Amino acid sequence: MPTVSVKWQKELYPAVEIDTTQPPYVFKCQLYDLTGVPPERQKIMVKGGILKDDADWSKLGLKEGQKLMMVGTADEIVKAPEKGPVFMEDLPEEEQVVAVGHSAGLFNLGNTCYMNSTMQCLHSVPELKSALIEYPQSGKSNDLDQSSHLLTVATRDLFSELDKNVKPVAPMQFWVVLRKKYPQFGQLHNGSFMQQDAEECWTQILYTLSQALRSPSTSANVDTVKELFGIDLVSRVHCAESGEESIETESVYSLKCHISQEVNHLHEGLKHGLKSELEKASPSLGRSAVYLKDSHINGLPKYLTIQFVRFFWKRESNQKAKILRKVDYPLELDIFDLCSDDLRKKLETPRQMLRDEDGRKAGLKLKEKSSASADIDVKMSDAEGPSNARGESSKTTLGEGSDKNVQLTGVYDLVAVLTHKGRSADSGHYVAWVKQENGKWIQFDDDNPIPQREEDITKLSGGGDWHMAYICMYKARTLPM
Amino acid sequence: MDPEPTNNNNTASASGNPKDESNLKPPSKDPKKKDDKKDEDLSEEDLALKQQLELYVERAQDADQGLQKVALESMRQEIRTSTSSMTSVPKPLKFLRPHYGTLKAYYDTMPDSDLKKLLADILSVLALTMSAEGDRESLKYRLLGSEGDIGSWGHEYVRNLAGEIAQEYSKRVNEEANVDDLIELVEQIVAFHMKHNAEPEAVDLLMEVEFLDLLVKHVDKTNYKRTCLYLTSSARYLPGPDDMSVLDIAYTIYKKFEEFPSALQIALYLDNMQHVKEIFTSCPDLLRKKQFCYILARQGLSFELDEEMCADDEDREALQEIINNTKLSEGYLTLARDIEVMEPKSPEDIYKAHLLDGRASAGASVDSARQNLAATFVNAFVNAGFGQDKLMTVTSEASSGGSSNWLFKNKDHGKASAAASLGMIDLWDVDTGLAQLDKYFHSNDNHVIAGALLGVGIVNCGIKNDCDPALALLADYLDKEDSFVRIGAITGLGFAYAGTQNEQIRDKLTPILGDPKAPLDVIAFTAIALGLVYVGSCNEEVAQAIIFALMDRSESDLGEPLTRLLPLGLGLLYLGKQDSVEATAEVSKTFNEKIRKYCDMTLMSCAYAGTGNVLKVQHFLGQCAQHFEKGETFQGPAVLGIAMVAMAEELGLDMAIRSLEHLLQYGEQNIRKAVPLALGLLCISNPKVHVMDTLSRLSHDADTEVAMAAVISLGLIGAGTNNARIAGMLRNLSSYYYKEANLLFCVRIAQGFVHMGKGLMTLAPYHSERFLLSPTALAGLVVLLHASLDMKAIILGKYHYVLYFVVLAMQPRMLLTVDENLKPLSVPVRVGQAVDVVGQAGRPKTITGFQTHSTPVLLAAGDRAELATEKYLPLSPILEGFVILKENPDYREEA
Repeated sequence: MPTVSVKWQKELYPAVEIDTTQPPYVFKCQLYDLTGVPPERQKIMVKGGILKDDADWSKLGLKEGQKLMMVGTADEIVKAPEKGPVFMEDLPEEEQVVAVGHSAGLFNLGNTCYMNSTMQCLHSVPELKSALIEYPQSGKSNDLDQSSHLLTVATRDLFSELDKNVKPVAPMQFWVVLRKKYPQFGQLHNGSFMQQDAEECWTQILYTLSQALRSPSTSANVDTVKELFGIDLVSRVHCAESGEESIETESVYSLKCHISQEVNHLHEGLKHGLKSELEKASPSLGRSAVYLKDSHINGLPKYLTIQFVRFFWKRESNQKAKILRKVDYPLELDIFDLCSDDLRKKLETPRQMLRDEDGRKAGLKLKEKSSASADIDVKMSDAEGPSNARGESSKTTLGEGSDKNVQLTGVYDLVAVLTHKGRSADSGHYVAWVKQENGKWIQFDDDNPIPQREEDITKLSGGGDWHMAYICMYKARTLPM
Repeated sequence: MDPEPTNNNNTASASGNPKDESNLKPPSKDPKKKDDKKDEDLSEEDLALKQQLELYVERAQDADQGLQKVALESMRQEIRTSTSSMTSVPKPLKFLRPHYGTLKAYYDTMPDSDLKKLLADILSVLALTMSAEGDRESLKYRLLGSEGDIGSWGHEYVRNLAGEIAQEYSKRVNEEANVDDLIELVEQIVAFHMKHNAEPEAVDLLMEVEFLDLLVKHVDKTNYKRTCLYLTSSARYLPGPDDMSVLDIAYTIYKKFEEFPSALQIALYLDNMQHVKEIFTSCPDLLRKKQFCYILARQGLSFELDEEMCADDEDREALQEIINNTKLSEGYLTLARDIEVMEPKSPEDIYKAHLLDGRASAGASVDSARQNLAATFVNAFVNAGFGQDKLMTVTSEASSGGSSNWLFKNKDHGKASAAASLGMIDLWDVDTGLAQLDKYFHSNDNHVIAGALLGVGIVNCGIKNDCDPALALLADYLDKEDSFVRIGAITGLGFAYAGTQNEQIRDKLTPILGDPKAPLDVIAFTAIALGLVYVGSCNEEVAQAIIFALMDRSESDLGEPLTRLLPLGLGLLYLGKQDSVEATAEVSKTFNEKIRKYCDMTLMSCAYAGTGNVLKVQHFLGQCAQHFEKGETFQGPAVLGIAMVAMAEELGLDMAIRSLEHLLQYGEQNIRKAVPLALGLLCISNPKVHVMDTLSRLSHDADTEVAMAAVISLGLIGAGTNNARIAGMLRNLSSYYYKEANLLFCVRIAQGFVHMGKGLMTLAPYHSERFLLSPTALAGLVVLLHASLDMKAIILGKYHYVLYFVVLAMQPRMLLTVDENLKPLSVPVRVGQAVDVVGQAGRPKTITGFQTHSTPVLLAAGDRAELATEKYLPLSPILEGFVILKENPDYREEA
């Protein structure tokens, strides 16, 4: 009976006796006692081969004191988990969107970057999206013309396309309908479509949507667009010459930031924009006189749109020229001092609460800038997380409920910037920079979404040939009642 | 490498140009008159000397022999005493110049006598500055002269003479004339040079006269090292077969002086096993033999010791164990513990996404198979050889299947790479690795089994075990139905037995090549595995089998990217074997034209890999200069060939880098995509800044294939270095390409390469101060690079496990000193940039900008270490890898 030494992993079992009259299986059972590895899992290396259970010892030429090596473990055999992981590559495209963390880009159909960037900015308003989902496919109201209806439907479809895709979307349908509704966008130059002013596109689309979404069928003639974007202004029109004074109210969809020599900051521009001179016939003087119009905000929207008046008509060159002046804008905008006295009073309590909360957070040395924004973020992402549930959940925060459930504070957070690069409104390139639901900024350069850092967003303030902000959209920071 | 003769010619021509002579000749006819004018600026002393010499010249022509003799001897005296100054033409020579012609004329009229010889000696010296270029009068008169002590005329004279001998020799060889008298002179000169620390001159002269054997006679204890150093480094620049004979001489000299480790290195360079055996038999010391074994192990050779080499059984076993590399894992872990990098790292630690705020890919709530696969590879490379990681081995003893979680986070064929990654993590530690992999053999998923098989190969890579566990475990799977399992087993065998020329493997694998039913991928990987096992062996049988397999391919198969692995397998058989490839190259000309050119390029590039053969580099450049419409694939291997051939030495390497830049500018896409890979090979694990910049630029190339190759190459040049700059570049690339899954995958792999073995590894196939080339290491890299020529089809397809071919080149870049019992011993060493000291006078410093560390230490590319203590003596002159230290018997502790 030869004795061999058996090496198993790092251990060496010297002097294991082999009974050569018995089949190797017996030897394996011997090793089982030593190592705890069941015989069927044992692999014993003999002369570059594995010892078979029924092998003949005599043919193996075993030598006294030979070193054998045994491989094998008593480890449990790996089994595939019941439910394998789901891989992104296998998912349908709409579910990949969630994983990618931002929606798709839009193909440029030939100088349509103004339209693409406008749509990307508007697409970032979830309330608008849900309102559009409500919009009936066929049941158009009587006072709405066919082309407006089609444009609204196209907008709705485009938005849902954007949500569903990871790869860029071609907004062909929308583009056709837009041109139909507003033929000025179909202008041709040298056989191709011309670049247009994004602001005009923005205004027109919002106008159409406000018309369409006002349909009486939904509920007591609520104008969703107005509710979301409308800014109530109260203006005191004063004529210095005659001493006449009148109060006017109006509702606009955007505030203008006028840019002049003195304006370095958005705030100054806004103040500037709320004061204007106009010439009109004075009833008391019997001729036209200069009136000073001094406006204040009387009603705040959920989304505050600010347009930088960067383009003006240059008579000499017969084109829209651009003001390149650098005008800084903040990520967090407080427009309290632009509000009317009435509104200020209303805002005071919520603002106090906001400050208190901020103070608390700062006291806890939390890094988050404000609790309110965090609250909103959580809320928004909760509400809008799963795309399919979006419709219902955001409905509750919207419509009639929205005013009652939340309080506006006059503090706004930047959510989207539409920039222009180039020297005139009808040339150059428009790009949308949109904050996603996860708080990340994405630059939508037509079909190419590029992630950006938040600190780079404020660098779009102009003063060079880089992209500069043309339209900014701020979202209200609200407090729950 | 032989600048001396030209130098001499220059000085000769400067002093001996015709204008000088014409100016100087008139005075010789009428010295007195004109000299008065010319010598106005001479000092009194000089004037006296001049007049004295003129007198000697006059007297030398005297009829009286006694007077003649006195004059000549005095003249000789004057010359000898002054030749010591090297800065200007010695004064006596200067003053004698006008009389050179006179003396020459007189010499011819003299009858044969001792005096005539004496005059010939003087004329020979005068000819040093006087004779016109090409006349070789110095030599002529030397041969006619008294043949006295050659050194007595000074060093410059000898140098000049050597130059003239070289010219004369080649002239006489052309005329087939007798050269005996020259050789006699050469012997004198060599003896003189060797005695006066001018070994390079001696070697140069002997090379010129093709009589290097003479050197062995003249080397002694003091100068053999410098001589051999010069010999070995000049060998790189010599055309074959001269280089071999030069190295043979160096080997003989080293052996003569019992400098066995150096002799062994040369024997390995020559790939001469007979020499290796000789060294073992002629060295009596067991400890030194152990050091030889470490050197053999680093080269990755399989070498069986027999009784003749080591009589004692037990000792032989111990030595064989070192050659088998069984202690590599232990040494590597010692290094890791010393540097304190044992803590496993996760792929996230490598990606460092937090440094890319805002741009990091958004919250991955869903697993991406591609990203997980990348993470698998990164995890494998980073934790290679450490035996622990955070994905595969973690919690394995905890709840059931804890470790398998990650395995099953990979999709389909990804699971193969995941299972194989265990082999990488347990690299070189066969016992643990096999135990870890065992459970996967029993899986019911073929991909997992294939991965486990591959893992067995990886874990055994470079390690040999008496029990041959790899062969035993893998052999059973070679004829399985599933081609995935088969490839796993075949490639595993290739890894485990690379370079062993194991006949059992050949017998098992060659039938697969001829199997008509075997799918193409199985055949392709079989060819590669055989190429690895028989790398550089020129084995006829294997070559035949691969050639037949290639001929059997159908037309459509030949268009497949995988088919290109077949010529590569064939090429590996001839890796570095130069002319031996000729016969096979001829056969390859008969192949289908689709593959013919590709095969030719691959064979040539492999055969001349690591030779630095400039003609071959030019040949490949010529191939790349052609412009084709599309579909030509052979230029890829041609570009790689430039790198493979030129990587041999630094100068050629720099030239190749510059040539590749040109290819980038003028080449077509199929060339451009290969250029980054070639750069990657040239600077592997050696992050040169300018190459890094080039690759960084290419990594943003508009062409994705170029960009992918550049990204992978960034990883290759930084492989195992933890280079912060490359790591930063790759991090930025990861955010730049975050949307492009393919490119992102490449970026991740490159990140894994850069942090390979947590920065303790190198992929460089060159070792031992860049002298030796490990064929298996190069073979592994070449396979990876060839596979990278068509990323989409291979690495980004389902053959991503070709990335594991780098395992063949992976080595710890360490210096681990061990004591006489082979236990790690910490001693202070100086580590600095290596300095080229070839042919320099005195005892120059061999490293610069050094820092003192205590072993074990890491060595970067181009670093050299030297002991900072006298207490120990290293048994190997080259401090790399494992080095045994012996106590210095002469050491005295400083009081």
